Amino acid sequence: MTGLEARADMIVCEGVKKWFGDFQALRGIDMTVEEREVVVVLGPSGSGKSTLIRCINRLEVHQEGRIIVDGVELTNDLRNIEKIRSEVGMVFQQFNLFPHLTIMDNITLAPIWVRKKPREEAETLAMELLDRVGIPEQADKYPGQLSGGQQQRVAIARALAMEPRVMLFDEPTSALDPEMIKEVLDVMKELAQTGMTMIVVTHEMGFAREVADRIIFMESGEIVEEGTPEHFFTNPTEDRTKLFLSQIL
Amino acid sequence: MVVIKWISQVVVLILVVSGLLFFAAQAGSNLRAKNIETSWRFLSVKPGIQLGEGIDVNPSTGARALWVGMVNTIRVSAVGLILATILGTIIGVARLSKNWIVNKLSTTFIEIIRNVPLLVQILFWAVVIRTWSEVDFNLGPIHNWFMVSQKGIALPRIFPSTGFYQWMVVVLIGAYVGRRVYHQRETEREETGRETHALSTALGIVAVFAAVGLLIHPLFGFLGPIFTAIGDVLDAIPILVVQLLLSAAMVAAAGLWIKRFLDNLRTPAGLAKLTDDDIFRIIFAGFSALMGIVLVFVIWPGLSAWLIHSLRDFFHLLGDKFEWLRTGRPLDGERPRIVQTGRFPNFSTSGLVITKEFAALLFGVVLYTAAFIAEIVRAGILAVPKGQTEAAGALGLSRGLALRKVVLPQAMRVILPPMGNQYLNLVKNTSLAIAVGFADLVQVGQTLYNQTGRTLEVVAIWMGFYLGMSLLISVVVNFFNVRLRIVER
Repeated sequence: MTGLEARADMIVCEGVKKWFGDFQALRGIDMTVEEREVVVVLGPSGSGKSTLIRCINRLEVHQEGRIIVDGVELTNDLRNIEKIRSEVGMVFQQFNLFPHLTIMDNITLAPIWVRKKPREEAETLAMELLDRVGIPEQADKYPGQLSGGQQQRVAIARALAMEPRVMLFDEPTSALDPEMIKEVLDVMKELAQTGMTMIVVTHEMGFAREVADRIIFMESGEIVEEGTPEHFFTNPTEDRTKLFLSQIL
Repeated sequence: MVVIKWISQVVVLILVVSGLLFFAAQAGSNLRAKNIETSWRFLSVKPGIQLGEGIDVNPSTGARALWVGMVNTIRVSAVGLILATILGTIIGVARLSKNWIVNKLSTTFIEIIRNVPLLVQILFWAVVIRTWSEVDFNLGPIHNWFMVSQKGIALPRIFPSTGFYQWMVVVLIGAYVGRRVYHQRETEREETGRETHALSTALGIVAVFAAVGLLIHPLFGFLGPIFTAIGDVLDAIPILVVQLLLSAAMVAAAGLWIKRFLDNLRTPAGLAKLTDDDIFRIIFAGFSALMGIVLVFVIWPGLSAWLIHSLRDFFHLLGDKFEWLRTGRPLDGERPRIVQTGRFPNFSTSGLVITKEFAALLFGVVLYTAAFIAEIVRAGILAVPKGQTEAAGALGLSRGLALRKVVLPQAMRVILPPMGNQYLNLVKNTSLAIAVGFADLVQVGQTLYNQTGRTLEVVAIWMGFYLGMSLLISVVVNFFNVRLRIVER
């Protein structure tokens, strides 16, 4: 990534503010994510990282500022929201697979009902994706029969089945047992290498250092510092960043 | 060890059976000592009672009177189940509403209704109805269409007419064709992804058949002689043949059960070794079949004749409903009217008249059960984690689609078992009809035993009836429960 090639802006946030009652979770976020860029958002818990990416696909509603995804501004217009949501894939901390559907049905549900794909085509795609995340043999099982790591990989496949232009990851490894974290991170790395635009909220510093094009450090609802992994881990400028790094490294 | 196990099984069985026999004998001798004997003669003589309402207000036998009571109970239960489910679901969803007024209203409703005894509520409605206006010749709100008075509520009625059964044959054929087309279209949609409007097409087909049926249904009168002939053939079957068939069916059922039982025990490595318990179950299944045969031939020889006569009557009745080229409308309607036969004007028999007793009981049980159903629905929806809705939304599913495909299937699983309990409660609670004098089974039964003194017999019939109804509801609810469970895992 040289940064010289001209790339379109995929996500633009301008002065995004968000309150939960009296508590201000986001205090004016300005951020731009380009096409094929991998951005890792770091920060202590309660700093507004999750809120930010949940605002990007309208799971939370921001009260001030503008969010523009792939040229479409997020407003209350339902059609806009559904269009953006089907182009922005999201992976949750708690997987949120549908427990009453098989793995195959979990993945094909949205392609069939939202994208109106023929079932056969949707199932072929689902098998390709399951292959990609390394668990094609689990297609006919139910989520409850899979391990946490496998469930999270299914969740990634489910999001990819909508052929999104952006993928959001909300602490995808935080609910996993330590020995399962790597299998999920490997899938995410592979995804980053294929040029997917990604915003990842995580506490995995190794992943951030290795995969991120850019790191954004947030605290108390503000972006404190941003830069390349090299700059961020070896030569941070802000005191708050230094403090955070000293606490976790 | 094996011997001890076997002996213990047999000893327990003997103890239970002899215990039951002992209590039965004891009860019998106690009753005889007090000069109480059981007799079912009251079922076949004229009870000389007048019922408040029902399919036959002047029953010719005791059995007929009880049957009218049962039909009344079933009527109020069936209407109650439907209304309570609809109302309960609406209130349950309303209680989750973010609209403050809607939310508080439904909460208040639930808290008031749940905390007042049902009997009090039924009496309350009876009092409320008593305050409504008297019947006169310009009764409103909509005269001769929808009239409300202290005698009850009158509505127009639609009922099957002369051409109904002939027409139904055409409609059923239409329903079958519609079903086939629906599945065909659904498969097509899944395979090609094109919208095929499966449901609207299927409904359209049924509607077309129903419309055409209005013209051609006299042709289907040819079925009449066929049904009558079937009835005649059934009647000609000797009782012995029926008994043998019933026995064969019971042996087949036991055999099938044993086969499935053994199949379940079969592993890829071959048939697992049977435990004593398994062998006992197999023997027990065989023994049950044997007891069934004894029942058919020895204990209740009349059963076969009764079965065959009922079937014959059924087909003859069906035969009378059809006649080659018989014309006539399938459905007829009539409006309620007011007539004066005695001192005061009253509703005529035309139209659907909901009596004040029926209304008081219905309002009581519907509102009461709806309050509980509302809480069950709310709990079911809340039991689906928020993450499920979010995940569905994040995939681009619209709200309706997310509700239909993700939330409801999971909520139903939680809702159904307690819902079944509420249905059972509703049916059993209709026995409070006695408080407002609605002619349900309990009220009719009580009148009957006051006149004949056959308390024990009537109570036995009550218990048998409510047990049967409850089992029926349990079976239906369980059927859906199992289906949902299979879908889930």
